[in-house]
Amino acid sequence: MATIDVRARDKDELARSLGWFSVALGAAQLVVPKAMCKLVGATGEGTAPLLMRLFGLRELAQGLAILVRPRPTVWVWSRVAGDALDVSALGVVAARNPGRRLRAAVAAANVLPIAVADVFEARHLSAQQGPPQRGRRIRKAVTINRPRDVVEQAWSEAQELRNKVDTAGAAVLFREASGDRGTELVVEYVEDSRAGDLGSVAKKLTGGDLPTQLADDLRRLKQRIETGEVVRSDASPDGHLLADHLMQRAAQPLESVR
Amino acid sequence: MRAACWTGRNSVAVENVPDPQILNERDAIVRVTSTAICGSDLHLYDGYVPTMKRGDILGHEFMGEVVEVGRAVHNLSVGDRVVVPFPIACGACNACRRDEYSLCENTNPNARLAEKLWGFPTAGIFGYSHLTGGFAGGQAEYVRVPFADVGPIKIDDASIPDETVLFLSDVFPTGYMGAEYCEIEPGDVIAIWGAGPVGQFAAASAFLLGAERVIVIDRFEYRLQIVHEHTGAETLNYEDVDKVPEALKELTGGRGPDACIDCVGLEAHHHGPAYAYDRVKQALRQETERPFALREAILSCRNGGVVSIMGVYGGLMDKFPIGAVMNRGLTIRSGQCHVQRYMRPLLGRITHGEIDPSFVVTHRMTLDDAPLGYELFKQKEDDCLKVVLKP
Repeated sequence: MATIDVRARDKDELARSLGWFSVALGAAQLVVPKAMCKLVGATGEGTAPLLMRLFGLRELAQGLAILVRPRPTVWVWSRVAGDALDVSALGVVAARNPGRRLRAAVAAANVLPIAVADVFEARHLSAQQGPPQRGRRIRKAVTINRPRDVVEQAWSEAQELRNKVDTAGAAVLFREASGDRGTELVVEYVEDSRAGDLGSVAKKLTGGDLPTQLADDLRRLKQRIETGEVVRSDASPDGHLLADHLMQRAAQPLESVR
Repeated sequence: MRAACWTGRNSVAVENVPDPQILNERDAIVRVTSTAICGSDLHLYDGYVPTMKRGDILGHEFMGEVVEVGRAVHNLSVGDRVVVPFPIACGACNACRRDEYSLCENTNPNARLAEKLWGFPTAGIFGYSHLTGGFAGGQAEYVRVPFADVGPIKIDDASIPDETVLFLSDVFPTGYMGAEYCEIEPGDVIAIWGAGPVGQFAAASAFLLGAERVIVIDRFEYRLQIVHEHTGAETLNYEDVDKVPEALKELTGGRGPDACIDCVGLEAHHHGPAYAYDRVKQALRQETERPFALREAILSCRNGGVVSIMGVYGGLMDKFPIGAVMNRGLTIRSGQCHVQRYMRPLLGRITHGEIDPSFVVTHRMTLDDAPLGYELFKQKEDDCLKVVLKP
C-alpha cells in the first residue's frame, strides 16, 4: 500500500510544526501557569501567573490560526512579534529575580532558535503569490496480483467503496504492473478539510478520514480479489481496520463468531 | 480449552479460553497433539517484542489432527494429521507466488502497524504479537489455522512419531534456509553463532548441503556437545577465547569462514564493557537489540562471503559494522523462514533417513507445565535445549 501526500500547498511542514508547538506551549501556560513561571525563573506569585495565562492565550490563538488558515502569513509574523515580547518579558523576570537568572537565560536561549525558524517561515510565506493553495493531494496505490479485467470487474462490484471514492471526487486509474505482476490500482484526490490541518488531524484521530478509510478498503479489496476473503485474526476479527489497531483484544478465540 | 497465555514480562499462565471457531472459509481447526517452545517465544516472554497483549495465546510450532474444515478447504479432511508452518500465507499474492511465504501481503490484519515499524508489512504469524497479526497461537488444545489449504502438510505415515516431524513447522526449515542462503560450495567452512535448536539444524543442514567443516559458537557446553555428537560440527566456546573472529581466523588458516550464520538474535550475551553498553541501551529502550553475535558474524566472515541472519531482530541496532559489509563485499541474507517452501523436501529427507530432527528434544511436558517449560528454557537449566508440550 503506497500513500503519497503530494505537496500542493503553501504551508509546509515547518509552519505546521510551529503551529503545533504554539498549541502545546499555550496549553501548558494556560493549565499550569505557576509551574511555567517557575520554569523560566519567576516566583509564580502576584500577577505573574495571570500574565503567564495571557501569554498562553496568545500562543494558543496563534497556533490554532496557523493550523486552520491555508496561508497563515500574518499569524507566523505574529509569532515573530511574540518571540520579541517573550524575550523582553524574560529580561524583566531576570531583573526582578536576580537569584534565578540562570533559568531566565536558559528560557531565552530556547526562544532564540524558535525565533529564527519563525522569521524563516514568515519570510517564506510572505514570498507566496496568487490565491492561497490549500488542501492535500493524496494518492494511494496497491498492486493486485490478477489481470486488469478481473480487478476492474471487482472494482465495479465494490459499490460501497466506489460511492465513497465518487463522493470525494477521486480519480481511479488501472494500469498493468510490469512483468506480469498483476494490476496497479491508483486512487487520487484532493483532501480539503474546512478546518485545515486541525480538521485533518481531528478526523484522523476518530478514524473518520478518507485516507485512512481508503487504506483499509484497498487492503481489503486486494484480499478479497486475491484470496476470496477478508483475512480475520483473533485480535482483529473484523479484518484490517486502522481505527482498531491501538485498542485490540487479546489474541484469543472469540466467545461467539460475528 | 486450555492455552498457554502471555500474561506479562516473564510470565506465562495456562488459562481457560474459548474454543476456536472457523472465521474464514479457508480456515481449519486443528486439535494440537504436540507443540514446542521456540527460542523466539523467549523474546516475547522476555518482553522485547512490542505489541503483546495480556492474554495472547503463544506458540507457533505445532502439529495435530484436523477436526473441522471451512467450506473452501478441499485438500484436507477431518482426521488428517498435519504439521502447520508458522507463517500464515495466502498462496496467491506476488510474494507467495515467489515462494516468499513469510512475506505474504494479505495475511496480516494489522498490516499498518508493521508497515510503520518496518516499511512494509510481513505475513501473519501464529501467537507472535499483534505486529504479526494478533493470531492465537498453538500452545493450546485447539488452534484455528487460516489458509489451511496452503500451509499445513499432511503426514500420512502413522508410524512417524510427532517429534520427528514437529520441527518442520519452524526450526528445521529455519536452520535449513540459513544454511541454504550460504550458497555452500565444496570445501566451504561455515561458522554458526548459537547452538540452540535453529543453530543445531543450521549445522546439520550445512553438512547436508555439502559443507566441508562447520564450527558452532556458544557458551553452553551441553549444547555444544549435542551439536558435535549429532551433526559432527566442531565447537567453539566463546568464553574460552578472547576474540571470536580471531579464533575463527586461526581455525581457518587466516581465511575466515566462507559464510556465517547468526542463530542468536536480539538477546545475545557477551562479556566485557561492550555487553554492558548494549545491555544498558536495550534496558533503556534506546535500541531494541543486543547484536553481538551479528557484529561478530560480520567481522569474522571472509572477504566476499555471506552472512545469513536467522536470529530474530525487532527494530534498531547500534554500532552496525556497515564499513566491513561494504568494503569487504559481504552479502547479507535474512528473513523469517519461508517454511511452506521447505516442508515437502525436508519431509523427504526425514523419510529417507538423512536426518531425524527429534535429537534436539530434551524436555517433554504437558501443556499445563508450560510456565515451567518457559522458565527452564530461558534459564538454560537442566540442560534444556527444546521443550515439547503435549496438550
